Amino acid sequence: MATILVDGQGVEARAGDSLLVALVRGGLHPTGGGCLCTGGDCPNCLVTADGVAYTRSCQVPARDGMVVQRDHLGGEEPALLPDEPGSPLRRIAPHAGEDAGAPSVQRSASRVLVKKAAPVQHVHCDTVVIGQGDSGREAAREARDGGLGVVTLDAREGQHVTGVYPGPLVVASDQAGCVLHVHPRREIVVATGAAEIQPVVPGSDLDGLVTARAAAELVAAGIDLGRAVAVGERPAELPEGTLAGHFPVGEGGWELVRFEGDGRVEAVIVRRHGDAGATDERIECDTAVLGLGRNPRNALARMASDLPVRVVGSAAMEPELPACPREGTVCPCSGVTVADLDGVWERGFHEMELLKRATLAGTGTCQGGVCLPYLRSFLLERGGRLQPAFTARPLNRQLTVRELAAGAHTAVTARSPLHDEHLSLGARMDRAGGWWRPWTYGRNDDEYRSVRERVSLGDVSSLGKMAISGPDAEAFLERIVPTKVATIRPGRCRYVLMLDERGYLLDDGMLCREADQGVGDRFFLTSTSGGSGFFELWLRDWAEAFGYDVRILNQTASLAAINVTGPQASRLLARAGARELPGFGRHRQVRIAGVDCRVVRLSFTGELSYELHHPAADACKLWRRLLAAGAGFNVQPHGLETLLRLRLEKGHIVIGQDTDYDSTPRRLAHEWAVNLDKGDFVGRQAILRTNKRPLDKRLVALRVEDPPVRQAADPSAEGAAIHDGERYAGYVTSDAGTAAGGTPMLGWLYLDAEGHLPREVTVDGRPARRVDGPTYDPDGERARVTVETGSESPENIGQFPVVRPEATDLAGEGPSGPLRLRRLEATRVSATPKALDALVEQPPWPAGALAFRTAPDELLVTATADLEVAGDPHAIVERETAFSYVWLDEATAERFLDRECEWRRPDARPALAQGEVAGIPAKLWFEAGRTLVLAPAPFAAAFQRRLTGSLAKPDKATP
Amino acid sequence: MNEFVERQMKLTWRPLKKSYDVVIVGAGGHGLATAYYLAARHGMSNVAVFERGYIGGGNSGRNTTIIRANYGIPAAVRFYQRSVDLYRGLEEETDRWLMHQAKGLLWMAHSEAAVRAEQMRAKLNTEFGAETEFVEPRQVQELCPQLDMSGGGRWPVLGASYHPQGATARHDRVVWALAEGAMERGAHVHQNTPVEGLVLDGERVAGVRTAAGDVAAGAVVSAVGGHVSRIAAMAGLRLPIRTHRLQAFVTNHYQQQFGPIVASSELFFYASQTARGEMLLGAEIDPQPSFSYRSSHDFVQDVCRRALCLLPFMSNLRVLRQWTGVCDMSPDYSPIMGQTGVDGFYLTTGWGTWGFKAIPAGGEQMAELIATGEVPELIAPFGLDRFARDRTMADRGSAGTH
Repeated sequence: MATILVDGQGVEARAGDSLLVALVRGGLHPTGGGCLCTGGDCPNCLVTADGVAYTRSCQVPARDGMVVQRDHLGGEEPALLPDEPGSPLRRIAPHAGEDAGAPSVQRSASRVLVKKAAPVQHVHCDTVVIGQGDSGREAAREARDGGLGVVTLDAREGQHVTGVYPGPLVVASDQAGCVLHVHPRREIVVATGAAEIQPVVPGSDLDGLVTARAAAELVAAGIDLGRAVAVGERPAELPEGTLAGHFPVGEGGWELVRFEGDGRVEAVIVRRHGDAGATDERIECDTAVLGLGRNPRNALARMASDLPVRVVGSAAMEPELPACPREGTVCPCSGVTVADLDGVWERGFHEMELLKRATLAGTGTCQGGVCLPYLRSFLLERGGRLQPAFTARPLNRQLTVRELAAGAHTAVTARSPLHDEHLSLGARMDRAGGWWRPWTYGRNDDEYRSVRERVSLGDVSSLGKMAISGPDAEAFLERIVPTKVATIRPGRCRYVLMLDERGYLLDDGMLCREADQGVGDRFFLTSTSGGSGFFELWLRDWAEAFGYDVRILNQTASLAAINVTGPQASRLLARAGARELPGFGRHRQVRIAGVDCRVVRLSFTGELSYELHHPAADACKLWRRLLAAGAGFNVQPHGLETLLRLRLEKGHIVIGQDTDYDSTPRRLAHEWAVNLDKGDFVGRQAILRTNKRPLDKRLVALRVEDPPVRQAADPSAEGAAIHDGERYAGYVTSDAGTAAGGTPMLGWLYLDAEGHLPREVTVDGRPARRVDGPTYDPDGERARVTVETGSESPENIGQFPVVRPEATDLAGEGPSGPLRLRRLEATRVSATPKALDALVEQPPWPAGALAFRTAPDELLVTATADLEVAGDPHAIVERETAFSYVWLDEATAERFLDRECEWRRPDARPALAQGEVAGIPAKLWFEAGRTLVLAPAPFAAAFQRRLTGSLAKPDKATP
Repeated sequence: MNEFVERQMKLTWRPLKKSYDVVIVGAGGHGLATAYYLAARHGMSNVAVFERGYIGGGNSGRNTTIIRANYGIPAAVRFYQRSVDLYRGLEEETDRWLMHQAKGLLWMAHSEAAVRAEQMRAKLNTEFGAETEFVEPRQVQELCPQLDMSGGGRWPVLGASYHPQGATARHDRVVWALAEGAMERGAHVHQNTPVEGLVLDGERVAGVRTAAGDVAAGAVVSAVGGHVSRIAAMAGLRLPIRTHRLQAFVTNHYQQQFGPIVASSELFFYASQTARGEMLLGAEIDPQPSFSYRSSHDFVQDVCRRALCLLPFMSNLRVLRQWTGVCDMSPDYSPIMGQTGVDGFYLTTGWGTWGFKAIPAGGEQMAELIATGEVPELIAPFGLDRFARDRTMADRGSAGTH
């Protein structure tokens, strides 16, 4: 015996009772009236159960302690924060009106409000059978006999199917509060049966009306129906003696006219059409049992018309059409009457969909379960044409937002290996271009001055980084960038643009040609942080399209990068042990503070700058040692906000901020970066064409003569309009804000009618002057300054032992201890498939190492062996520390992956599989009894959180 | 009876004639608005609108009913502001209840970069007449008390651009009011009458081909959504259009009032409350081109997850129904309106995810173009020839979601 709390009153429920049965047993109609069907086909038993509105009480088992409101709208907002004083609104937002910045209040709000996402369970099978009536059981048995893996879903077991989707994918709730994603390989069998047609006559909203099936269920539960009369078909399932009368309306000239009663039905009025005309008969009753015909529950099949769906049993029957309704409520969900239908018909709404839209019939919880047969018979009678049912759409059964979100994760933001270093230095981290970046360390002026006057460190690990080699590497890059690549000598680097086919700027970066000719013709190309995701696809796509013989290795996450910038940069590096540093426009391999770095010398800040690219695993060591070595120079790190100001003084553009979808190099004043005389490159044809058109606008630098005193809330002029006299002449794209004083802005400036670019304009009404070239160090002497390296004594060198990577002995490890992701020391190879085939035949790495063929031309080896790839002189072999790993035992792996891996895992052992796990791209290595999970290091923290979070969710019964 | 049952509009269906001055293909919002303004503003009523299904059955009946003008380039802001203004007067003009309601639109920023982008949007919009201001978190919370300002602890609201004229209107009623207004002035609308081809007179388009025979026309306007590439191909045009799915869903009735329209370009979703009290959510287009009207689970799944970060009160609401429209996306995320280079053939397309809010202005301007033969200044930048002339209307402000 269970007790449920209904509108504050205790109601006893027996074991096996649905909530509806318990309510009826307690003498309560869930909604006060309306025919009950117990099949989930109507809205007449909706309640609010445990705070969830619109709950079909016939589909929910009565549970002890359940709190029910007989108001399916939910009434008052569920008391999520019962202790909070004040209005309901205040209860949802406890910090409204208070200091919105107070984190403790916000945390408490989100802790209470965001319930844990429901767990999801992915199930793979051959066949899924929806519905376990006779035909469903039969279909499941047949499939099992045929040797197929079958999953069955049954509403009586709490498995309510919301929809059938491409994939194919069947989504269903489960009794244990979890959401099932069933992925059938072969077939979806819809065996959902048929719904009973509801009455549409005056009085159909009374209590005491039940369908034949509902009557049988209530009687079986021991509920006394009182004096019950059957209307329509004789209910076969009712025990003898239950009925006090039977009136076969719908046949033999019988017609159902109305129900009479006050709250509860007291009589049924039927009409008999005989030879002598029509006579009405009034039959007194306590309960009317209705057998008005059946309508197939085929919505799931209709919403999946082009999927492998088979409909069996009564779900496959032809719909029975009731008589055209004369009077009464057709759509109880939206409260639409026959008079409403007549009204809109008269107004010219004759199509099924227009009738639906003009009355809202069929748009409620039951999605046409009650009204659809009547809408069809209404339209047939009025228009003489039987119209098809309106479109079946998900959700067939309505889950909550929380349940539907099961298994989804928000987009993950990558972390630099230096993330925790920034935090410990007091940085405010912010999302920018898909990465967490240090926005500011809280002292912008000092950050700025440390770059301009001393020396500063900036984390640029998020830059896209690509190693490219192969016989065609140079020819390939000539096609990709508009700069002449052939003239970049070994050891040199150059700023390059990347254009799309329309000649519009996609991205920019720097292109380095390797100095060491021993590795063949090899290049290193960077892109912006935001573009790095697209960058590899772009390169590979063109390499394939042009058929070039190149190797491409994405090192974005493999390499961290620290920009050492400022007039003292070379002194700091010398003190950190750098013996030889490259000159401007050059790069070279240098060991700094015990770490092997590729040092590239270009400049974004305008000062002497060295970009140190190095293995991600060494980033923290290098960062700390550089800070220590620079202590004497008062070295400070600088954040992104400062960097944006520094570059603005140099007039450097930021892709996405200063560029738009139509930014040609000419509009950006970057013609100097385009060589039209070299061979063809992506975008060249478009540039030749657009160069013939008169120029319309140009990105220019503007200096406001009289810097306005701006409001704190409006620190930047970005977006401000530029006027040339009265003429609108463009808008500002970049402005460093109040603190930056006279720093010029960048903005789009439209040419005037004569084709001239105005010199004197106004910005926000203030006079401004277009300036040519950078305002800071116009000749670039500071960035290009010649420095003598080695002049600084490397006094701290003793503290910088050479970092010697250790191979990870994965074979010797097992799934024991805490589930903590650790950094993997590995080697990654990009080589021709043939060469890799040969390599794995006779592996040169230690026996304990594992080798994963992650792509035909790519290999990941869990050892730091200096591999020789005999079959490919252009192979790229690099130390790889961009993956984190964890071993899971079989049970843990299964539990985790059933929840977080949507795709089907391989059955073979051992096996490698790659794909998204918990919303993060991962590699899985399955061995007998244990599974290795590899996640990209920038996402390791997020993966760790999702792994632990997922395993902490409660278990559920498997289907 | 519910309060939303239609009891004002009267649609009058008339038999097909052999010839019209103007034939419009597609009886969605844009087609019907063009017919309406031709009749109401220019006295041209010998006009027919052909529809393969029922009126408003395409994207006009599948959108999320949002009206706003806070776009990213001056020409677009001006154009959409015209539409916002026309929408405001449309109930009075048609004497019909369109359930138009100015709610204000909040566009959330969760990072400094987004704060800058929203501040920029506010400035640019205000300059061109679409009032928008950047508001601090405290004001955001006042405008929408339901927001979890911590973004579930991960997506804090650092501010928002606020567009007070952001509004919604019942999409079907807009369509019906325009249809009724055109019909009562004499225009014809023919449902269930697909245009199967164009009648060509030399280089000129001179009519349309239907199952009921050829129909002559002084001008043919394609106001087709989702399948414009096919109609254009009949006129020998190849359009820079890719068609993508755009999905949306509603929940059951939410008991409390949810005031504004809330959008987040970093969490990629937007939400508003319908007049019936349902929460209506949408997000970005599906990335791969498709003509399919099939909805997907991952859309609902992901959007529910993202929405819960900002609107945790939705946790216990049930998702009632999801659906899909197909969007004609132009390469620069701006519409294509006007002449086509083919005599007698006009286009209004590229309505992407922003078609509904443009209905009155799009119809008004197209009607003026057809009636006067002069390209109105407001839509001159949006001609098809802009792609060949390197004068694309690249609009990051519309490349968002709705």
